[in-house]
Amino acid sequence: MKWFSNRFKLVFLIVGVILLFVAAAALASPADAAKPSHLVSQSAPPDKPSNAYCLSCHSRSGMTKTLPNGEVLSLYIDPNLFDHSIHNQQNMDCVDCHTNISTFPHPDFKANSLRDVTLQLYGTCKNCHASEFNQTLNSVHQKALDAGNSNAAVCTDCHNPHQQTRLIDPQTGKLSQDARLEVPQTCARCHSTIYNTYKSSVHGAALTQYGNLDVPTCIDCHGVHNIQDPNSAQFRNAIPQLCAKCHTDPRIMNKYGISTQVLNTYVSDFHGTTVTLFEQVSPNTPTNKPVCTDCHGVHDISNVNNPATGIAIKQNLLVKCQRCHPNVTTANFTDAWMDHYVASPQKFALVYYVNLFYKFFIPLVIGGMLVFVVTDFIRRMAEARKGARH
Amino acid sequence: MAAKTSAPVRSRMYVRFSFADRVQHLLLLLSFTTLAVTGLVQEFAENPVSLFIIRLWGNVDNIRLTHHAAATVLMLIAIYHILGFGYKVFVLRQRMTMLPGFQDVKDALRAFAYNIGLSKTRPQMGRYTFEEKAEYWALVWGIIIMGLTGFMMWNPVETVKFLPGEFIPAAKAAHGAEAVLAVLAIIVWHMYGVHLKRFNKAMWTGRLTEEEMLHEHPLELADIKAGMDKPALEANALRRRQRIYYPVAAVVGAAMLFAVYGFVNGEQTAITTIPPQAATVEVFVPETPTPLPPTPTPLPSPTAAPTSEASNGTPSSPTWDSTIGPLFAAKCNACHIATISGGLNLSTYADVMKGATDGPVIIPGDSAHSKLVIVQSAGNHPGQLSADELALVKQWIDAGAPEK
Repeated sequence: MKWFSNRFKLVFLIVGVILLFVAAAALASPADAAKPSHLVSQSAPPDKPSNAYCLSCHSRSGMTKTLPNGEVLSLYIDPNLFDHSIHNQQNMDCVDCHTNISTFPHPDFKANSLRDVTLQLYGTCKNCHASEFNQTLNSVHQKALDAGNSNAAVCTDCHNPHQQTRLIDPQTGKLSQDARLEVPQTCARCHSTIYNTYKSSVHGAALTQYGNLDVPTCIDCHGVHNIQDPNSAQFRNAIPQLCAKCHTDPRIMNKYGISTQVLNTYVSDFHGTTVTLFEQVSPNTPTNKPVCTDCHGVHDISNVNNPATGIAIKQNLLVKCQRCHPNVTTANFTDAWMDHYVASPQKFALVYYVNLFYKFFIPLVIGGMLVFVVTDFIRRMAEARKGARH
Repeated sequence: MAAKTSAPVRSRMYVRFSFADRVQHLLLLLSFTTLAVTGLVQEFAENPVSLFIIRLWGNVDNIRLTHHAAATVLMLIAIYHILGFGYKVFVLRQRMTMLPGFQDVKDALRAFAYNIGLSKTRPQMGRYTFEEKAEYWALVWGIIIMGLTGFMMWNPVETVKFLPGEFIPAAKAAHGAEAVLAVLAIIVWHMYGVHLKRFNKAMWTGRLTEEEMLHEHPLELADIKAGMDKPALEANALRRRQRIYYPVAAVVGAAMLFAVYGFVNGEQTAITTIPPQAATVEVFVPETPTPLPPTPTPLPSPTAAPTSEASNGTPSSPTWDSTIGPLFAAKCNACHIATISGGLNLSTYADVMKGATDGPVIIPGDSAHSKLVIVQSAGNHPGQLSADELALVKQWIDAGAPEK
């Protein structure tokens, strides 16, 4: 498990930092050793300034700096939020990240805009979180950044380093439930239109209104640090497998009475066979055959029984068919797709009975042929032996 | 066997298949094999051998293109065969030696009886043995089935103008099963009959020796020797029949070619590439000009499981125990308990949440999509709730349908 090793690296780093700190604290005055130390009154600047030393100024709300482009940079650190942040709880010092600062006055820092500030500083995350940082280098965000879009998200846009609380539940080793609930709002900071769509979808509504964690958040489909272009052929071809991760899991689906046959019925259909073969044989080649999202929607997935949008209603499904088959006029056509049903005497009886017919017809015909062929062969062998004796 | 007993003297050769017949067979062999390979890899798409073959073609779209091309060749062969048959029967007045008859059933039973020792002799057969007729007519049957079901899959939009949509997946099921049957039949019947039993090269050389004729087609040999195999043709009558047949065959052939053209080109949307529609949403729409620090991340709080949030309704909001249970008992239980109409029992909270035979009737938090509300909103349910009662039920569902 790659992720696990990342975790271990992080733990080692943190342990290493703590050991360094303990060593430093042993050499420095004993008063600095106590954490959280910003409550301690201002002390003289040591070689490595304490958080208390920094916060003695930066905990003053309203502390700002006007940047050359007129934007106002807040220099205020909320002591309470910082106190609860994972960085503080892991005994990180301000100067562990702000490495060029050791005392006041600070060295000159030139940034034209707020975005410029972020882009100049976020690289420091790599010092501890190298694995996650390197994953982002392959992401759609990094590609946008490289292409000159400075709005593209970097580490600190999602994780405010002064406030980020613990994300990983130490007991499960997985993203904590609270963290999962937060994910869509984090992405919404930049993708608010998509978030609003998601919020009204069957998944998003369950999460945002009821805190239901059975549903996917953004990262369950898009990934976290190595988010890939969702419009690529590769991503599209893999969508059925992506949805199937949950939709074939009876532990989740049984709660809602949703069929877990959705993948195998799709794969055995013409469309699904095609997409599956593209995914396995030529994942980067686009195919026009529909994947889950083409009929069910992407961020706006609705309950299939929703009278307005649900595709269990023939007229709603017909609209989806017509996107690729524009000359279809009759709702009759929707029955060419078996609605994720397995053929049975009740559902798609014709298909069921065709299969049943051949289930008996093939063995009957081939069996009859075999009986004749085998007896004929034995008889001819016997004749040949008799002929040889003559 | 036959060769061993034959005399060293070169025996007389008999023409069995004309050059045109052999070319037809070769094309049939090629198109059938191509169809079988490119079809079975789709029927058994998840088999590793199939995946290997599909990789050779690049992707499954190329497989389908090849399949369609081979199918077109097979249809053209069939048209040629039909026109050739007409010429032989109408113009040349040849006997229809491929027609099956009662005699073939007797021959088959006799042959089987001989094989299992119940008969002393093999049946004596003519130009086409019952084995050959069985194979020929199986091929005709197969081509008709495959042609019809193939048409439905190739032209689904046209097909559903005349037939129910369900015919498309049914055609796919039949097409695949029939393919399996055809390939197995070729392997068992054809391979044995002309390769294993005796390596019969007549389909390539076109000829059989007298010895072979005597063994396999003794009645035909007798007819040939008696000069009865082909009717005497009178030159004038032949020319007259040709003058009739050629224009008729031209019209019929053109009609069939046109039909094949329609088959192949009639419908494009099912096979041509309409590119998948990319998302058209605006991707970067920040909520606010991103502040630094951005939206604070709320502190984790040791709350209970998230589902409990839904049930933290205010005391005034309706619950099952306080309001909804008694309401349903009064208004619904006449039917939805005693007879359990629609499989729906509305007497206990658990039964209500379980829903009807065709699915849940309550979606906690989503009254608009809860079937119970949809049905009641129509206003003509036998046990109709009043507007106020329905509003109460909606409020209850939207609050998460709490029990207590």
